[in-house]
Amino acid sequence: MIRRRTAVLVVTGIFTAALFVSLVTHTTGIVRDDPERNIWIPRELTMPLQLQVAYNEQQIFFRYRWPAERPHVYTDLLRFTDGQWMRQLDSPVGPEPDGIYEDRLTMMVDDGSVPEFQRYGGYITVGANMRDFTDAGAYAGRDDAHRRKYLPATRSDPDDWYSVVDADTLDAQRAAGYFLDLWHWRAHLSNPLGWSDDQLIAWYRLYDSGEGPFFSNWDGAEGRPRFMFDQAETGMHALRLDDVKDRTDLRGHYYLSEDTAVAFDAAREWQEGDLIPGQVLREPSGARATIRVQGEGRWADGEWDVTLVRALDTGDPLEDKILQDQGVYTIALAVHRDAKASRWHYVSMPIQVGLGRDSDLAASRFAGEAPDWSQAAVHEVTLFYPGQVSWPRLTSEIHAGSTNIAKGVPVKYRHKEAQLAVYGVEIEFESEIRRQWWFSLVAGVLLIISFVYSAGLLLKEREG
Amino acid sequence: MAPYHALMAHFPVAVWITASMIIVVRALNDGPLAKSLDRVLVPFLVFGAVTGVMTYVLGLMVWPADTLQTTPLGRNHMMAATWSMFYWGAVLVLRWWVGEKAWEGLTNRLIMLGLGALGGGLLAITGTLGGHLHGAPSFVSSVLRMIGWEVYATFYFPNWVLVMLAVVIIIMPVIAIATLRGRAARLRAEGGAA
Repeated sequence: MIRRRTAVLVVTGIFTAALFVSLVTHTTGIVRDDPERNIWIPRELTMPLQLQVAYNEQQIFFRYRWPAERPHVYTDLLRFTDGQWMRQLDSPVGPEPDGIYEDRLTMMVDDGSVPEFQRYGGYITVGANMRDFTDAGAYAGRDDAHRRKYLPATRSDPDDWYSVVDADTLDAQRAAGYFLDLWHWRAHLSNPLGWSDDQLIAWYRLYDSGEGPFFSNWDGAEGRPRFMFDQAETGMHALRLDDVKDRTDLRGHYYLSEDTAVAFDAAREWQEGDLIPGQVLREPSGARATIRVQGEGRWADGEWDVTLVRALDTGDPLEDKILQDQGVYTIALAVHRDAKASRWHYVSMPIQVGLGRDSDLAASRFAGEAPDWSQAAVHEVTLFYPGQVSWPRLTSEIHAGSTNIAKGVPVKYRHKEAQLAVYGVEIEFESEIRRQWWFSLVAGVLLIISFVYSAGLLLKEREG
Repeated sequence: MAPYHALMAHFPVAVWITASMIIVVRALNDGPLAKSLDRVLVPFLVFGAVTGVMTYVLGLMVWPADTLQTTPLGRNHMMAATWSMFYWGAVLVLRWWVGEKAWEGLTNRLIMLGLGALGGGLLAITGTLGGHLHGAPSFVSSVLRMIGWEVYATFYFPNWVLVMLAVVIIIMPVIAIATLRGRAARLRAEGGAA
């Protein structure tokens, strides 16, 4: 039988070891990828982006640089499988296994007409029952693919995606500037021809008027592509998976455009695994042709370097935010990389950009055709994984900060990017983490009681 | 209730921190000052327990229960506060129950010293998380991050650790009781032999 002093040491040792193991292993065992519930957690929850802004009398230039292990320059490929052409319609949960999903950069812009945007950025556009959220698929008995971003005042019930206000109200809101301009640079569907797509967010995520920089290559009636590569021009009829999977060389004909496409030849002997882009690139027109890539948007040495340029005044005030000298505007950025789509992106907090005015980022004014970036301030932005956090949730009682939102306290006053990323992940496992936390809380209490009781028994006995 | 919770929290924190210091001083010293301080330890701990419970109850009224329990920082603060309250309550019971024997021998003193230090640490964590929730984060959060705890993430144990803790919770008193029974039997045997 062990002696009292030995027993004291053993009990204390066990207690100390239990504390140590608890500390080392805490916050593990719950968070994991779960594709069945539309959950995939990025290995890195934050990423950096460098932003520079410059403007002259006519135009504004945004230069973005962000790390990407390798470029992903394909999306929506038509694949010849088992004797027929197949189309991949669903967004992957997390990274696409073959790396087939394009890198993207999006930027929302506002001129102060959407005041909540200045304080809470893109969170205000993530409404009720959003697509790709866990359990969103079955909401209202409808597929969720169309349930995309919108602004809060375009709905009468914040908890119902379908409660869109009437058309007259929507028109009045648009005339009052209640929309966000959305610049949308796409490594496959806009960059090769030197464009960024131009969209806006109002009651829905809409395209500006005019023709976009791509059109569908899918012939639904025949179940096959409309066009294929012109062999005389490109040296091939189709791509192969090896061409696209690990491609880092962005020279040559890696995309299908009006210049390199010819009518699809159904009689040709197609090979298993042949790939043809599901979209054909073209020159956009109208209000959709306002944002250009300056020079080349290029990937090199693990980094994308993209500069977008647009007229300060596009002449389309119902579709674009008109910018001017001495104005302060709010932007929020998002990056898709590593072959991820939909909500698996990194986003920024709102950033104020001043054109000749003090703000988070003061844009450099220059004279001439193109800015000298060595003279422009570099703004370091931290982007973060936002998880499944919606505006209805943030403004409801379940969010401890909802009273601050009601008071108009900006998000950056109470939260850091890394914090929001962790919260975003925790919300994806809300019930599991809450249950485990309760068990842990009770276990800790019982451990304390057990140790103190055991120590008390031994301490009150004299040595001997 | 947030301002009243913050106001009330000063009392148990002050009392328990003082109690930590008394425990440390008494564990290292047998002088008259240390013994005088030790005499007020139990009343101090009683006052700490009463004001601690009041603070805890006020804290539960700051937000609805669902809100508090779905906020990672709120969960962590509530957990640390619960553990602090039970911990200092247990120290009170221990000191009351064991009496002066708590300071007999090196082993006893080391255990009391450890309990004082652990209690002080728990209070610091609870206060830090409360400050964070109130919108006033401190450098202590960075210290916790350096030792492996991201305060923005909920603190919980994986299932296997919960099982291990269940075993530990049972085995510690079993060892203590078995030791005392063995000791009593040995003493009886020695008494019989004499």
